[in-house]
Amino acid sequence: MSGFARARVAFTVLAAQLQDRPERLLVTIGAIALGIALSVSVTLVNASAADEFGRASRALTGSADLVIDGGRGGFDEALYPSVARRPEVTVASPVLETELALAAGGTLMVLGVDPFLAGRLEPAIYGDLASHFTGLLGARAIVLSAAAATTLNVGRGGTLRVRLGREERLLEVIDVLPSSAYPRPLGVMDLGSAQWTLLRLGRLSRLELRLAPGVDPARFGASLALPAGALIARGTDLEGRGASLRRAYYANLDMLALVALLTGGFLVFATQALSTLRRRAQFALLRALGVTRAEVTLAVVLEGALVGLAGGILGTALGWVIAREALARFGGDLGAGYAAGPGTPLAAPATTLVAFVALGVLVSALSSWLPARRVAALAPARALKGGDPEFALATSSGGRRGAGLLIAGGAIAFAPPLGGLPLAGYLSIALLLFGAVLLVPSFARLVLAHLPTRVGPIGRLALAQLQGTVAESAVSLAAIVVSFSLMVSMAIMVHSFRDSFERWLGGVLPADVYLRVAPGSDTVLLSDADGRDIAAIPGVERAELRRVLPVLLAPDRPAVALIARRLDAVSVDRLPLLERASATPADLPAVYVSEAVHDLYRVGIGSRLTLPVGGQGRAVVVAGIWRDYARSSGTILIEQGTYRAWSHDVASTDAALWLKSGASAALVGAELTRRLKLGASLELIETSDLKARSLTAFDRAFTITYLLEAIAVAIGLAGVGFAFASTALARRAEFGVLRHLGCSARQLKRLLAGEGALVGALGALYGLLVGGLLSLVLVYVVNRQSFHWSLDFVVPVGQLLLVALALVLAAATTARLAARGVLGTSAVRAAREDW
Amino acid sequence: MRRGIRVLALASVLAAVGVASGAVPSYPDVVPGNALNFPADEGAHPPFRTEWWYVTGWLKTAAGAPLGFQVTFFRTRPDVDAANPSAFAARELVIAHAALSDPAAPRAKHAERIARAVFGLARAAVGRTDVTLGDWQLVSSGALFATRVKADDFAFELTLRRRGPVLLNGQGGFSRKGPAETSASWYYSIPGLAVTGALTRNGRPEPVTGEAWLDHEWSSAYLDPESVGWDWLGLNLDDGGALMAFRIRDAKGQARWAGGSLRSPDGRVLILEPGEVDFVAGRTWRSPHTGIRWPVEWRVRARSLEFGLRPLLDDQESDSRLTTGAVYWEGAVTAMGPAGRLGRGYLELTGYGEPLKLR
Amino acid sequence: MTAVLSVRGLTRRFTPDRPPVLEGLSFALQAGEYVAIMGESGVGKSTLLNLIAGLDRPEEGSIELDGRELTRLDDDALTLERRRSMGFVFQAFHVLPYLSVARNVALPLELLGWPAAEREARVNAMLAEVGLADSAARLPRELSGGELQRVAIARALAHRPRLLLADEPTGNLDPGTAAQVLRLLKTQVAAQGGAGILITHSRAAAATADRAFMLDGHSLTPLAVAG
Repeated sequence: MSGFARARVAFTVLAAQLQDRPERLLVTIGAIALGIALSVSVTLVNASAADEFGRASRALTGSADLVIDGGRGGFDEALYPSVARRPEVTVASPVLETELALAAGGTLMVLGVDPFLAGRLEPAIYGDLASHFTGLLGARAIVLSAAAATTLNVGRGGTLRVRLGREERLLEVIDVLPSSAYPRPLGVMDLGSAQWTLLRLGRLSRLELRLAPGVDPARFGASLALPAGALIARGTDLEGRGASLRRAYYANLDMLALVALLTGGFLVFATQALSTLRRRAQFALLRALGVTRAEVTLAVVLEGALVGLAGGILGTALGWVIAREALARFGGDLGAGYAAGPGTPLAAPATTLVAFVALGVLVSALSSWLPARRVAALAPARALKGGDPEFALATSSGGRRGAGLLIAGGAIAFAPPLGGLPLAGYLSIALLLFGAVLLVPSFARLVLAHLPTRVGPIGRLALAQLQGTVAESAVSLAAIVVSFSLMVSMAIMVHSFRDSFERWLGGVLPADVYLRVAPGSDTVLLSDADGRDIAAIPGVERAELRRVLPVLLAPDRPAVALIARRLDAVSVDRLPLLERASATPADLPAVYVSEAVHDLYRVGIGSRLTLPVGGQGRAVVVAGIWRDYARSSGTILIEQGTYRAWSHDVASTDAALWLKSGASAALVGAELTRRLKLGASLELIETSDLKARSLTAFDRAFTITYLLEAIAVAIGLAGVGFAFASTALARRAEFGVLRHLGCSARQLKRLLAGEGALVGALGALYGLLVGGLLSLVLVYVVNRQSFHWSLDFVVPVGQLLLVALALVLAAATTARLAARGVLGTSAVRAAREDW
Repeated sequence: MRRGIRVLALASVLAAVGVASGAVPSYPDVVPGNALNFPADEGAHPPFRTEWWYVTGWLKTAAGAPLGFQVTFFRTRPDVDAANPSAFAARELVIAHAALSDPAAPRAKHAERIARAVFGLARAAVGRTDVTLGDWQLVSSGALFATRVKADDFAFELTLRRRGPVLLNGQGGFSRKGPAETSASWYYSIPGLAVTGALTRNGRPEPVTGEAWLDHEWSSAYLDPESVGWDWLGLNLDDGGALMAFRIRDAKGQARWAGGSLRSPDGRVLILEPGEVDFVAGRTWRSPHTGIRWPVEWRVRARSLEFGLRPLLDDQESDSRLTTGAVYWEGAVTAMGPAGRLGRGYLELTGYGEPLKLR
Repeated sequence: MTAVLSVRGLTRRFTPDRPPVLEGLSFALQAGEYVAIMGESGVGKSTLLNLIAGLDRPEEGSIELDGRELTRLDDDALTLERRRSMGFVFQAFHVLPYLSVARNVALPLELLGWPAAEREARVNAMLAEVGLADSAARLPRELSGGELQRVAIARALAHRPRLLLADEPTGNLDPGTAAQVLRLLKTQVAAQGGAGILITHSRAAAATADRAFMLDGHSLTPLAVAG
C-alpha cells in the first residue's frame, strides 16, 4: 500500500476522530503549551543574555586574532613594544581596563586605548572616535557608551564625578557613542591619560593582536615569552568566560523547563492512552471497516502531532511574551546576578521559535506512539464487544525494564561533567524517572494489596476499583509521580542549599561589620593607615584589612578571586574547611582554595599552584579546601604577609570589624564615614543585615525554580483530573448500575474522591521515594558539577509532608470535580448504553 | 604649508582642547634670520607644532605606463599635558599618507596610518631624515632616500637619489604664508629625485623608475583666519629645472598671498614674489563622491613662465573627512607650454568644498 | 456461475485441550445468494464470521473470496479485502456517535478515497434506499434503534461489497422493527448484486433469507425455514 493512500486513510480517520469531543484535547494542548512556553522563555532569556554578552565581548575584542590577557592585574607595558615589533603582528592594540569608582557609588568599566590602533581592530566602538580622537587626548576626557550615558544620566559636554583614592575628580564627557557601538556601560579614555589619571602608570591589561595572513595564532602565541599573569586568549575565550558563569545557571533552568515539557509529554501519553482505550470499540469498528493497523497508529500519532502543533504554537507565543516581560523587568539573569540588568533586548531567532514548535509536535507525537501502537494491535472482534482493557504499562517486562533503568540511572550519575555541564547527571535523572514510571504498576499493586480493607462499603468499592484497574490508574499515577518526584527532588536540593548557605554565612562572616570600598574598583583602595584609623574608632575592638583581587589562571575561565588576609591558626580554623592538610611543606607558602578551584583547576590538598603575583609566577601549596558560596569561579586565600612581600602591594579593598560589646554599629558606621571621607564609595554592612540580604537574594534566585516546580505539579494534577474525567466517562455505565443498586450521588462523589485521594496518596508516597532518589543526584552531581560547591544533604521533612498532603487533597478534589458531569441522572441512563 | 592640511586640522583642534584644559604648551615661532643647517635640519624639529616630509612623483612601469605616487610623513606635537609621565602619553603623533594614481584605474588609491611616537614604534628622528610608522618608513642615507609603504591594496619600496642641492624656498628657507609676518614656515624642497624600486599591486611586484620631489616643512602657525584654502604646484621641468608655486585664497576665491621658487637647469634660483604668480582655473570635474567641483585644468604664470596643467586622471580626490575632516585634491599633472611638454609634477587644491577650518 | 465465497475444511481451535469450535467446515455461496446461518450460543457462528472477515485466523482450511485465497494474506491485505469487498452489520449497530448519519454512511467511501461528489451521490442514494433521506444531518443519538440499524445497513452496502456479513442484526430490536430491518437487508443484498450471510439464532429472522442452515461445528445442515 502506498504511503500516500495510508496517509489519506489516516487523515480520514483523524478527521472523524476529531469530531469526537474535540475539547478533550484542550488539557493536553495546554500541558504541551505550558512545557513549551517554559522552555521557550528560558531559552530565549538565556539566548538574549548570551547574545548581549557575546556582542559586548565581540565588540571589545573585535577582530583580534589573539589577545594577550593580563586580567585586571595586568602586566608591565614593556611587553607592548616587544610584541608589536614582531613581524607576524599587523596591529597590536594595547588596552588598559579599569573599574573606575564613581563618586555617586558603583563603578564603571573604563578602557584606556590608543584609538588609532584600537579603531583598526574594533571599528564598532572606536571607528567614530578616530575622527575626533583629538578631543580624547585631554587628560580628563572620557567618551561614554550610550548605556553608560543613560545609566549615569550624563551627556556629551557633561562631567562625570569619579573617585580616585581619597579624592574626587571630574572627567569631561566629550562624546557619547551610538548605542549600536556597545550595548553595555563603558567609558573610553586615551591610554596615556588613563594610565596617568587612573593611577595605573606602566600597566596594561591586554594586548589585542591582528596577525599577518597565514600566521597560526596558536603557534605564534606559544612563541611569546609572557610575564606571569599574562595569558594567551582567543576572542572566543573571552566570550566563554562570561558564558561559563551563566551557563550552569541557565542549563539548570533549561533542564527544569525540559522537565516541564517532559511532564507535558507524559500527560499526552497518559491522556492518549486513556482516550484510545476508551475509544477502543470505535477503533475496532474502523479496523473491521477496513482500516489497517498502520493507519490506525498513524491516525493516533497524527492526533498527537496536532495536539503538539497547537500546544507548540500556543506555548511558543506564550514563552516569547514571558521572555520579553522577564527581560524587561529582571534582565538577562532573571535577577540572579550573572548578567546585565533590565533592558536586555530580546533575541528571538525565527529558527529557534520554529524549532520549539517542532519540539512540541515531536514530544506529543512520540508520546502518542505507544498508545497508538497499543490500540492498533487490539483484536477488533473482541474490542468490538468491549473487552481487552489491558494497558501497556502493566506488562511484566515493564517492571524488569524499570529496574534496569534505575540501575543504569544510578550508575551514570557517577560520570564526570561533559563540557563543564552535568549532562550525565541529567541523563541519570531522566533514566531514574523513566525507570520509576515503569515500576509504578508494581508499586501500586504492592501497596494496594497491603491496604486495610475495613473501610466501609464506599471505601472498599474505591479500593476494589483501583485494584481492578491498576493498569489504568498506573497511567494517571505516573503523571503525578513524574511531576511530584521532580518537585520533591528540587525542594530537597534547594533546602539543602539554603541550609548549607545559611550555616556557611555564619562561618565566613565572623566579624560584626564589614567594610568595602567601591567594590570591584581599581581606583579606590584602603591603606594600612586607614586600617589604624578604623581600629582607633571608639567601639571598634579590632579591624582586619583584606585585599581582594582578580587573578587569571586560565584564558577561558573567569578570574579567580585572590584574597590576601591574615591567616593565623584561629582564622584558618574558622574557615568552612572541607579538607585540610595534616602538614604542609615548610618551604612553600600555604593557600586555601575554594571547591571551585579544586574542581576547575584540578588541584587537591598538597597540590602546587603557580599564582601570578607582582609580575612573577609564585609557587604555593594547597593546604586546605573550603566552601565558598559567594564565588562560583573560585577563590584562593593567601596570607597577607606573603602577598605583600611578593607584590609590594600594601593596599586593601575590604575590612572586617569586630566591635566592643555594647558598641553601636550605627555610631561606628557614622564615624567611619566621617573619618575615611570616601563618600558613596564606602560600603558598610552589618553582618546580620548581610545575612538577611544574602538569604533574600538566594530566595529570589530560586523563585523561578519554585515557579517551574509549581507548574510541573499543576500539569501533573491536570493529568489526574483528565484521567478521572475520562475514566469517569468510561465508567458511566458502572455508575449507572451503582445508582440502580441504590448508591446516592453523594456516595458516588465520595467514591470518586476516595479513589482520587488514594491515587494521590500512592503518587505522593512513591513521588517522595523517587524524589528523594533524584535529589541525591541533584545535590551530589548536578549542583556540584554546575556550581562547584558542595551541599549538606538536608530533607525538609515537614514541608514535604505538607505538600504531599496538599497533593492528596488536590487529587481527591480534582477527581471529584472531573467526574461531576457523569454523576447526574445521565448516569442512570448510561447503564444501558454500550459505548 | 600645503601638505599641512590634515596636520593643521589636527593641530587646531588640539589647540582648542589645550586652551580648554588650560595647559597650552609653548610652540616656537618661525622667524627669519636663522640659517638652515644641513644635514641636521633634514631631521625632525620636535618643538614645532607640525612638520612634514612630502614626496610626490611620477613613475613608469617596465611596460612604459605612467603612474603618480605620493608618500607623506607628518609629525605633530599635540598639546597634551606635559606633566603626564605615561609612556603612552601622546606627546608626538606620526601620521603617514600614501596614494597611487593610475590612469587605467577609475580613481586614485589612498592609505593612511597614524600612531603616537612611543617605544620607537613610530618616530621622527632628529638630525637626519628618519621617519618611521610601523612598517612605513622614509629614511635618508648619504645621497639616497629610501621609502617603504604597505597599504592593503598596494605597496611600494622606492630609492630616491638626489641629483642636485636642496632648494631653499622664500628667504633662505623662511617661507611667508600670508600678509601677517607670523604666518610662515621653514621650507625647503629637493626636486629632481631619480626613483628606482618596486611597486606591488594585486600582490604582484614590478620594477618601476621615475622622478620625484621632496618637500620638508615645519612650523607652528600657518594661515590667518581670512584664508580658506590654497593651490600649490611642484614641477620637475624637462630641461632639468624645477618650479614650486602657490597661492592662498580667501573666501571669494581671490589670492591673499602667493609665492614660489624657480630653479633653472644651471642651478640659479629665482624667488617669486606674490605678484609674480597667477593661477587661472580651467576645466572643472565634479566629484561623484562628494559633489565638489574641482578645477582640474589650469593656466599658470610664474614670472615669465606660462603653461597649462593637465591631470593624469580626474579623480585624484582624497576624502579624509572621517579622519581629519578635510577633502582635497592631490594629483599628478603635466605642464604643457606653447612648444609642448614643459615638465611633470603634483598639484594640490584645498578649500573647494567646505572652507578648511583652520582657525 | 462461480462462487463468491468458498469455504473448505475450515478448522478453528481456541485452546489445544478442548475440541475445536469449527472443524473441517465447507460451504460455498453464489453471487446474489443471501443465506442465514443459525445455531446455539457458542456453536461458532461469530467465529465463522470473524474468520471470513479476516478478523480471526483458522488453524486449517481455506477461504476464497471471488477466487482469492484469504487465509494466506497478511493483516494489511486482509484489511484491504474488508475495506473493498465486505460490509458489516452488527447487533450493537456500532454507529460512530459523534458523526452525522451521512458521514457514518460515507465513512467506507472516504476510506476508499471516493471523490466527494460521487460519495455524496452514493450516500444520498443509500439513505433513500433505507428510508432515511431526511435524516442525513442528524446525529445517532437522535435516532431510534431501528433507524440506527438502517444507518448501519446503508454503511455496510454503500461501497457495493461483494459480501455482506450481518451478525445478529436484530438482536437489540423489537420484533416489529426487526422485521423491517430484515426485509431491508434482503432487498438491499439483492439490489447491490453481492452475496450475504445473516447470522442469527432466530428462526423468524432466518426465514427471511433465501436459504437457511444450522451450524453444528462440522457442517451446515440445510433448514427448511426459508419462505
